[in-house]
Amino acid sequence: MSVLEMKNIKKSFGDLEVLKGIDLTVEKGEVVAIIGPSGGGKSTLLRCATTLETVDSGDITIAGDVLCASPSEGAKSVYCDKKMMQEVRSRFGLVFQNFNLFPHFSVRRNITEALIHVHKKSKEEADKICDNLLKKMDMSSKADAYPCQLSGGQQQRVSIARALATSPDIIFFDEPTSALDPELTAGVLKVIRELAEEKMTMVIVTHEMSFARDVADKIIFMAGGVIVEQGPAEELINNPKEERTKAFLAGY
Amino acid sequence: MDKLGAIFTQLLNGFGFTLGIFFFTIIFSIPLGLLIAKGRMAKNKIVSAIFRVYISIMRGTPLMLQLLLVYFGPYYVFKVSTGSIQVGPFNYRFIATVIGFSLNYAAYFAEIFRGGIQSMPKGQYEAAQVLGFTPLQTYFKIILPQVVKRVLPSVTNEVITLVKDTSLAQVLAVTEMFTAASKLASAQVSVVPFVVAGVFYYVFNGIIEIIMHSIEKKMSYYQ
Repeated sequence: MSVLEMKNIKKSFGDLEVLKGIDLTVEKGEVVAIIGPSGGGKSTLLRCATTLETVDSGDITIAGDVLCASPSEGAKSVYCDKKMMQEVRSRFGLVFQNFNLFPHFSVRRNITEALIHVHKKSKEEADKICDNLLKKMDMSSKADAYPCQLSGGQQQRVSIARALATSPDIIFFDEPTSALDPELTAGVLKVIRELAEEKMTMVIVTHEMSFARDVADKIIFMAGGVIVEQGPAEELINNPKEERTKAFLAGY
Repeated sequence: MDKLGAIFTQLLNGFGFTLGIFFFTIIFSIPLGLLIAKGRMAKNKIVSAIFRVYISIMRGTPLMLQLLLVYFGPYYVFKVSTGSIQVGPFNYRFIATVIGFSLNYAAYFAEIFRGGIQSMPKGQYEAAQVLGFTPLQTYFKIILPQVVKRVLPSVTNEVITLVKDTSLAQVLAVTEMFTAASKLASAQVSVVPFVVAGVFYYVFNGIIEIIMHSIEKKMSYYQ
């Protein structure tokens, strides 16, 4: 079963067409990395999938729930109602480039707040989930710390824990290591790698080519609002077919 | 010495009204300021323009004039007699003072709150949205607590100004502390009542500074 299905997604900001008809399917347990030059539409695609932007036309289905659909080919996409939207949002997690932790909440509250107040779990249940996740992130000692007391790498691991807390069907990463120095990057990549080994379904926008090749099942190369090339990770990185892909990868 | 004692008791009487104007204005103008800030930031251009004009008028005309309008307006414009209005221990002079102050200070607070709300990074809203928080939960759990921290220094400024502005109530013949001091000064042909009143204002503001500082300190556990 596919966890994410995006069909013929089009999106413009004013006169600028950012997505020119993107098709993307992610199967359960699959790790998909999206690479490509800045301004190529990677982040916009992710923001459309996570309800932060609305598409102009196209269909998006997450874990079987229809987020939006075009009534006919190329027609303006119609979104689901508010209730369904909340349902869809509980199906995925999103990890931001600059973490976006809530600075006035402790690490624990950052992770448990949505569990308690959106998913109506008891405080005890939420704490248990939080403790398990922090252990996994190697952050158990920081449960009562505030985000400003943590390094960037630690903050990003907390935000991954926050995204995992509601046991989503799929997690999106928007350049999770772009705000980190190489040393801190390693810790975050290690965590994502472990998630991949556990067969967590993930879509990762990244500029870390070797990481994408090692961890992803499939790599998608996006430029100019279209998918230029896609294929098995190793093959796309080592033997790109399109000239545009070759030119991009030559820079790494 | 007797004279000083008389000054003290009379000013203390007036200080009761000063405190009353101060607290009622704070209680009404802060929530009203939040609502006006919301209106000012409304997506609807007409709604936003209405609140912009309101803020502009409130900030652009003297508070003393606004107080006089609130007090005399009902009678001169609508022929409504306000002389018999009495809410608990408060007559219309006092009520008009509180209304005038609240409307005026709400405009200033609104602009402070707007600045605070608009300075919030977009990422905070997005993180909350993706986690499934409703807009109301997002506002009260995520945004407002952080805005309070951001606007606190500016709010302290306004609150201190308000303490001193209460003296404007004398135009409506409310016998707050400044009015009492003026009367005493002319009766005793002395500046001592003014000096004592000054000490009262200063001490009151000193207490406010200490309280606001401790709140700021309490909120300094995060950045």
